[in-house]
Amino acid sequence: MRYCFLILFYFWANAIFAQPTFPLNGPSNQKPEHFALAHATVWTNSEQMIQDALLLIENGKLIYVGAYKNIPADYTLVDLSGKVVYPSFIDLFSDYGVQWEPKKAYRNTHGFYSAKRGAFHWNEAIRAEEKAAAYFNPDEKQKAGYLTAGFGITLSAIQDGICRGSAVLVSTVSSSAQEAILKEEATMNWSFNKGSSTVDYPNSAMGSVALIRQTFYDTKWIKTQQESNISLTSLAKNQDLPVLFDAENKWAVLRAHKIANELNAKNWIIKGYGDEYQRSKELAEMRLPMVIPVNFPKPYDVEDPFDANRVSLADLMHWEQAPGNLASVNAAKIPFSITMKGCEDGHAFLKNIRLAVQQGLPETAALKALTETPAKLIGASAFCGSIREGMSAHLIVCDKPIFEKDAKVLAHWNGGVYMPVNFETDFPVTGLFELQSELPYQQIQITQQGAKLTGSLIGNDTLELSVSREAGTYQLSLIPDKKAALHCTMRLAFVKQNNVLQASGIATWQSGKTVSVLLKQVAVSNLKESPKQDSIQKLVSQIRFPFVEYGYTKIPEPEEVIFKGATVWTNTKSGIIGKQDVHIKAGKIIAIGAELSSATAKTIDAKGLHLTNGIIDEHSHLAIYKGVNECSQAITAEVRIGDVIQPEDINIYRQLAGGVIGAQLLHGSCNPVGGQSALVKLRWGKSAEEMKIKGADGFIKFALGENVKQSGGGPGLRYPQTRMGVEQIYIDAFNRALQYESELKQHPTTTRKDLELESLLEIIRKKRFISCHSYVQSEINMLLHVANQFGFRVNTFTHILEGYKVADKMKAHGVAASTFADWWAYKFEVMDAIPYNGAILNDMGIVTAINSDDAEMGRRLNQEAAKMIKYGNLSEEAAWKMVTLNPAKILHIDHLTGSIEIGKDADLVLWNNNPLSIYAKPLYTFVDGICYFSLASDLKSRAEVQQERNRIVQKMIALKQQGVKTQKQISIQDENYHCEDEN
Amino acid sequence: MKITTVKMKIKSSNRLYLCLLILAYFPLFITAQEQPTYLVGGTFHIGNGEVVSDAHLLMMDGKIIELSTRFDNQIKNAKIVDVTGKHIYPGIIALNNIMGLNEIDAVRATRDYNEVGAFNPNVRTAIAYNTDSKILPTALFNGIVFTQAVPQGGQISGSSSLFYTKGWNWEDALVLEDDGVHLNYPDLTTANDALDQANTVQKQLEALVLFLEEAYQFCTLPKPQVFNLRFEAMRKVFTGKTNLYVHVGTAKGMLSALALIKDKYPTIKLIFVGAEEAYQLTSTLRLYKIPVVLTAIHRLPIYSHEPYDLSYQLATMLLDSGIQVAIAQAGSWESRNIMFHAGTAVAFGMDKEKALSCITLQPAKILGIANRIGSLEIGKEATIVISEGDILDMKSSKISTVYIKGEQVEINDVQQALNKKYRQKFKLKE
Repeated sequence: MRYCFLILFYFWANAIFAQPTFPLNGPSNQKPEHFALAHATVWTNSEQMIQDALLLIENGKLIYVGAYKNIPADYTLVDLSGKVVYPSFIDLFSDYGVQWEPKKAYRNTHGFYSAKRGAFHWNEAIRAEEKAAAYFNPDEKQKAGYLTAGFGITLSAIQDGICRGSAVLVSTVSSSAQEAILKEEATMNWSFNKGSSTVDYPNSAMGSVALIRQTFYDTKWIKTQQESNISLTSLAKNQDLPVLFDAENKWAVLRAHKIANELNAKNWIIKGYGDEYQRSKELAEMRLPMVIPVNFPKPYDVEDPFDANRVSLADLMHWEQAPGNLASVNAAKIPFSITMKGCEDGHAFLKNIRLAVQQGLPETAALKALTETPAKLIGASAFCGSIREGMSAHLIVCDKPIFEKDAKVLAHWNGGVYMPVNFETDFPVTGLFELQSELPYQQIQITQQGAKLTGSLIGNDTLELSVSREAGTYQLSLIPDKKAALHCTMRLAFVKQNNVLQASGIATWQSGKTVSVLLKQVAVSNLKESPKQDSIQKLVSQIRFPFVEYGYTKIPEPEEVIFKGATVWTNTKSGIIGKQDVHIKAGKIIAIGAELSSATAKTIDAKGLHLTNGIIDEHSHLAIYKGVNECSQAITAEVRIGDVIQPEDINIYRQLAGGVIGAQLLHGSCNPVGGQSALVKLRWGKSAEEMKIKGADGFIKFALGENVKQSGGGPGLRYPQTRMGVEQIYIDAFNRALQYESELKQHPTTTRKDLELESLLEIIRKKRFISCHSYVQSEINMLLHVANQFGFRVNTFTHILEGYKVADKMKAHGVAASTFADWWAYKFEVMDAIPYNGAILNDMGIVTAINSDDAEMGRRLNQEAAKMIKYGNLSEEAAWKMVTLNPAKILHIDHLTGSIEIGKDADLVLWNNNPLSIYAKPLYTFVDGICYFSLASDLKSRAEVQQERNRIVQKMIALKQQGVKTQKQISIQDENYHCEDEN
Repeated sequence: MKITTVKMKIKSSNRLYLCLLILAYFPLFITAQEQPTYLVGGTFHIGNGEVVSDAHLLMMDGKIIELSTRFDNQIKNAKIVDVTGKHIYPGIIALNNIMGLNEIDAVRATRDYNEVGAFNPNVRTAIAYNTDSKILPTALFNGIVFTQAVPQGGQISGSSSLFYTKGWNWEDALVLEDDGVHLNYPDLTTANDALDQANTVQKQLEALVLFLEEAYQFCTLPKPQVFNLRFEAMRKVFTGKTNLYVHVGTAKGMLSALALIKDKYPTIKLIFVGAEEAYQLTSTLRLYKIPVVLTAIHRLPIYSHEPYDLSYQLATMLLDSGIQVAIAQAGSWESRNIMFHAGTAVAFGMDKEKALSCITLQPAKILGIANRIGSLEIGKEATIVISEGDILDMKSSKISTVYIKGEQVEINDVQQALNKKYRQKFKLKE
């Protein structure tokens, strides 16, 4: 009977081209469309299960779902005894059947605007006008994977570009595009990745964020306009569709959420990477649903210790913990659905889902994430995601509960269409068989190991056989062996006759002679135990914050501490005072004096040690994700470093070890107006948003000279190519900003919100402050003139290596300086740079800081400050302020930090020596009263890192030796960006 | 800038005047020592680990004649310089840099260190060294008197030479001509990334092995039928007369270099430059007595799992394992900070005098001229640096005087002139 069921499916699967609008070629071929699916165990949704169920399907619709009862006469019976039926799985992140190729005609030669002609968006990465439905055609090759995995329905999108247009909901079962499409436009799809677009902008992650924000604002604006823009009007038309956002990792997920929040959008769905467990708390707080892959990495090949060295702890830990991701996401109550994206094939997907279940994902939650949730998220619950009377029949038939080992999807049902997946005999062909033939052998043994069948031919001797399957028949061949002169191939069909499995066919000898063969099963053999490939233990390593080396298993809290008897560098009128106690509590400095005590405070003996405010780096490119420069346009005031903070950059920890507590994370210097800065404290382990200094003023990067005029190379097409052009760019930009301001006043509702001009206007209105990369005196003077013309003050000249030549003009303007101690000679415009610059500026009364621009130098800025003594004869106190109080003043955060005063943030470093001495190193670094670094805890972390790495490496080596497939891995190291970097 | 050679005859009243007018009243370039000079008092850091306090040092005919705490048999006509409270060091040796070969990093026309082709042992920095470079005076100002000008690029970059950081031309600035050939070892760490990369590395290795073997065969011929500049340039390397500097960072690369070079050509004097992962191979390096030139103490760890201070500690780890170590700073303008690299090593555990040795005597030993320079030992060249304070600590590292072969040289240059010029413009105190 079972066998009949499969045959039935097979034939029906061929009869699916019955489309009413198509002309008929020959006689019609109508089939009965009333079916009774009987005796199966049916999961109607993730919680309800009916045993011995009956499903009545009439013309593709479920008209009865319930317990078995008498079947009406005109129904074709399909006996599903022993089978399990589920609603079809739905994959929301797919490109199934979408035959998209970027058009060759769009190849760009200049890169400034889209090469796509017509009334479309200026940027080719915004392809809102595209409909995946228009590119959809069932793809037989792709289909197999989805069907094997149980995905009867996919949301197929053009997975290319920032705005990817609308996605189409399709059935993977149908072989005709017309029938397969269930919903032409189900979501609007977005990402941060510009894909095949040949427009230069954006070339950084922060540029992507800006483009997305501006495009959403433009969508609102276009409704008020006469102007036609097909991309924007498509967006406006589809504004009520859910947005499905492809985010490449946990931080990108939060980044996308931030945009959704700004737009007050509720209908966003975010696709993650599978690393959500690392930040489940923050992700749960978003309250946005997610689509999550189960792309667990293979173990790495780390047998060679040199190779092992190149794999980061983060990658090692992720390998171990990735299978537990969904359990963690589920426990955090993040609504989620599951995608097959990233899995090798359908088998790998099912294997990984089972692994996720083993790791603690409840089966009902898994089923919900594969059926109900995705249907609900895209508003398709009415016709898929569950099995209910009145709905279309989208369901799958499995040989046993799908979460059990080796369970298979046998068939899909999509309305009136059936598609068998595994139409092999559903009985095992393994066992011992009696051989009836002219061959001089009497028995054949077929055994199964994993998915692989092998056999042996048994007579006076035993010969190995390879077993392969094709079109339902089996081929058994002697494995060529020098000893065996025999060559023999059998082609057999297995059939169960009177409950005895038998196989008949022919055997071909080496000589070419063909004999008939009959096998009769005499014993059913058990499967050989397959090697324990899935035996990854339950979560053993702890989550680290951040999820890298030297991360904490628990984020540290503010401590109450009294530093006893330190030499305190106050950076106040009190100067450097010996034998002082400093009391910190709840993140603040609460007392300074002699013999302080508190019952609740921990004391740190600081006799003979130096206590200072931590170092603040005015110019850093630390902790920036995917690009420090948005180089594509001369003005990119709309991009924000704050959108792309990478809080897991190991260099944050290394800076803490160098006594650094805060920094301005700056855009690079490749254009006259770069992006907006982020002011951060180095709160290691916290999220990107938590690192930002709350309430800090807005800053922005400007740049002058060789970099902005692209002296280093490039096609030389972008304006400006001279210092003359730089001035004109500024004057034009600020005039446009003023014009924008007056238009906004006159037409507040119809004026296009312009993120770039808003940012520029903030500068004129003294709400945003410039930190300007600058070298030679002429250009410094120029910017002072521009600022005067528009009535604002330049806040900071950074680098400013020829500042000493125009120190009088700078002083008169009231601009601050942040410079290198002794960098020079790396390009033409720094040939007059002298190490006396900082001291001259300081002696002129200009607030002067020493900065790094480099993660390496950043961690020994105390040494750089000391060079001011060597070259400029500055006092120790003055030199020290150049890396603490002065940068705090420059960044307008000196009310919070920069000196040791009661009420200020406890951003303190305890040094073993005079901090300006090369022999000094931090013993403790506190930020907001939290000890983020101490020599003692560092030593402990080193041991832990070592131990943890070794444990996982040993585990991987053991797996490799067991024969588990491994992969080569070289972990990506954190970027160390500089101003000069192209992106 | 006017140059005067009448330096010692100027009366002190004139000195002040001249000092204001012209920066250089000591010879800009090296001349023969005219008058024996005693440095009296002060702390003498010998360079070999020893410190002698309250001593005197006699320089005569360009050499160190005497260093003693007893000051009785004073010779006639000698000049006496009181260095009480000051610190006296041997002239610092900056290994492995491109000072004099490179003026402005970003301007191609000023770069003279990278010849075309993979195998260039025959090209020599000896004749490319530009004594008029604006960078050299900034190094001398900090006490760096010797620099090894090292060619870059290709698989074998060429031959380096040691120079004074001051001179009329390359010829008179030369201290040691063609001290060794520089080989850039193929980067084995990227070999597994992709097949084509693996192939590139494999091809580089094969080409290197082949070149060395062909060159070796050529050099062993009693009378070659043809001439070959490249092979000929390897002759001194094979015989061990000059060094073979192998620029290699990874432990895997170092092991490979030992297997492919040291094993086949045992007379080669192998030196590893860079050697960031040398700490993984300490016993092997000690076994084969391979010296190591670290090209930066101030650098970030390579891998995120490495301790933050690994590069700070590396020199100490190697020294403690009995490996010969020199500290350098690759690059050109950056090299003026080499003594602070040594200083940071001290902050993380090294003995101060050992750290000094890593930029004085150890480099001299590696170069094979420790009999001439590298320490304040009797008989050696009187090339001496006097600092107001500890030379390794920027807080106190202020060089007051430099003697090259017994003659005091001018160390101020353009940067000091610009400082002076603008301080005067703004009426700031100097």
